[in-house]
Amino acid sequence: MSATRHTRLLLFAAILLGAIYLFPLYWMYATALKSGSEIFAYPPTFIPRGLDFGIFAEVWATRDMGRFIWNSLVIATGSMALVALLGTGCAYVLARYRNVWIDIALFLVLMLQVLPASLMITPIFVGFSALGLLDFPRFAVMLAFTAKAMPFFVILVRATFMSIPAELEEAALVDGNSRIGAFALIALPLARNGILVSAILIFMQAFGEFVYSKSMIQDVTLQPASVGLNGFMGPNTVEWNKIMAYATIYVTPILAAFVLLQQRIVSGLTSGALK
Amino acid sequence: MRSRRLLNGYPKMKRLLSSVTDGKGFDILLVSLPLLFLLAFSGLPLLYNVLMSFQEVDIFSLGRLIRPFIGLDNYRELFAAPEFWPIMWNTMLFVVCSIAGQFTLGLALALFFDTGFRGSSFLRGLFLVSWVMPGLVVGAIWNWILSGDFGVLNYLLTSSGLISENIFWRSDVDYSLWAVVLANIWLGTSFNMILLSVGLAGIPKDLYEASELDGANILQRFSTITLPMMRSTIGAVISLGLIFTLQQFDLFAAITSGGPANSSNVAQYWAWELSFRQYDFAKGATVSTLMIITVMIAAVLYVRSTRHEVRI
Repeated sequence: MSATRHTRLLLFAAILLGAIYLFPLYWMYATALKSGSEIFAYPPTFIPRGLDFGIFAEVWATRDMGRFIWNSLVIATGSMALVALLGTGCAYVLARYRNVWIDIALFLVLMLQVLPASLMITPIFVGFSALGLLDFPRFAVMLAFTAKAMPFFVILVRATFMSIPAELEEAALVDGNSRIGAFALIALPLARNGILVSAILIFMQAFGEFVYSKSMIQDVTLQPASVGLNGFMGPNTVEWNKIMAYATIYVTPILAAFVLLQQRIVSGLTSGALK
Repeated sequence: MRSRRLLNGYPKMKRLLSSVTDGKGFDILLVSLPLLFLLAFSGLPLLYNVLMSFQEVDIFSLGRLIRPFIGLDNYRELFAAPEFWPIMWNTMLFVVCSIAGQFTLGLALALFFDTGFRGSSFLRGLFLVSWVMPGLVVGAIWNWILSGDFGVLNYLLTSSGLISENIFWRSDVDYSLWAVVLANIWLGTSFNMILLSVGLAGIPKDLYEASELDGANILQRFSTITLPMMRSTIGAVISLGLIFTLQQFDLFAAITSGGPANSSNVAQYWAWELSFRQYDFAKGATVSTLMIITVMIAAVLYVRSTRHEVRI
């Protein structure tokens, strides 16, 4: 009896801790549903008085969110495809061999992972403008972001490949498969889940990317939602319910995807970051 | 088949092709394409950045590679700037306090969830939403929470009697940096917790049972088993924290923009500001170079601590 009461108490404490931790998220949703005068009420109302869902359609239309979200999707999809295309093979080779060259390549990848975007944007901007790449600003952001995000992807996917026994591929080679065949028919299908989860993580990061887009995309019709949100938050803004409605529309799809894939994302993340 | 017949006359080509499909060439191709991409879009900018920090750059010479070489002048001017040392001090405060907060809270939560009751892993995973949200959205939410007159944090603090009058988090020079630190701790705690949980799960449970039989209390068990067994994980988590904290930019853009009067400015935001607000790309590159060296040192520490873990 006391054992179950103990676990119930722990569960209750855990839910309480979770609720405290996730309060900022709740506050975003609650504020979005308040009216323009209710957000300035004192003391603040913790449960919105009347639920006004019309605000989402209003903000969507007045802030041109369709365009911003579309640009975010373009940048995120392009970056994810480029990262997965280039990174998967790299991760595979880095997982299958152990020698000095692999160590050097691995070290290089780890080093390039840590370069902060806000520091790299200065040379990238100047270099890209000299090359004329800034005429295609979304593509420029994809290239820069791919270089930033690929090392992370390689490290996560490498961990996945390392967990697949090499014997399976050796058997395929004995059966007369070529190396390409063994890679495409044995290793890739087995690593599918890990690759997928890592690609989704890259997509989420690219969907929220800010520094590169803010610096390289001047044309407002090509800017992603993060830059749009930044433009919405002027220094003297009072429309906090609308800003939070914007933020809600922007992050809810990401949060939904995360909650659905939570267990896989967490295990993928932990196997990669520490090994 | 047809391609094979076609290539019969070209033994060299054939060997190359078969190497790519079936030999060392395959591996080399797979690994060299992404590495070349990385070198082109990360390695070259890095070198270009160092080069720019020794050059005189203005709007007219922006597109050129060869510019007047001015030695260490950029660095000298930077060190002499009145805001240089305050911003470096802010950077250090931001990094140390963010990491200390994230790590302590993360470890406490990891220890709590390590008791392993039903539903613990699902609830623990939920915490990670703070980490997958776009940084700018996190910044926007905290900007509103920290608002001076109508912010919910001020309300909670005054109504619980902790403060007697509202704190203007974003516009008071004494608090603006702490506003960003607070948001950054919230953002990073979950990631710290998840990684520390992995380390905790790797400690054999019989170690605890044995020491419990020997009469060790919970604090003794923590300091003689948990901490020593977690040493390499803690090393990795703290160096990752250092790397992520030095990358934090979005929160500054969304909460304080480095102000007021640089009171919440840090090096990684300043570098961007110099380049893209003041169009002084040479100074921006100089700050970037200094910080990239710092980050590289952190990265070496991280690599060393993860290596250590693999060997164990």
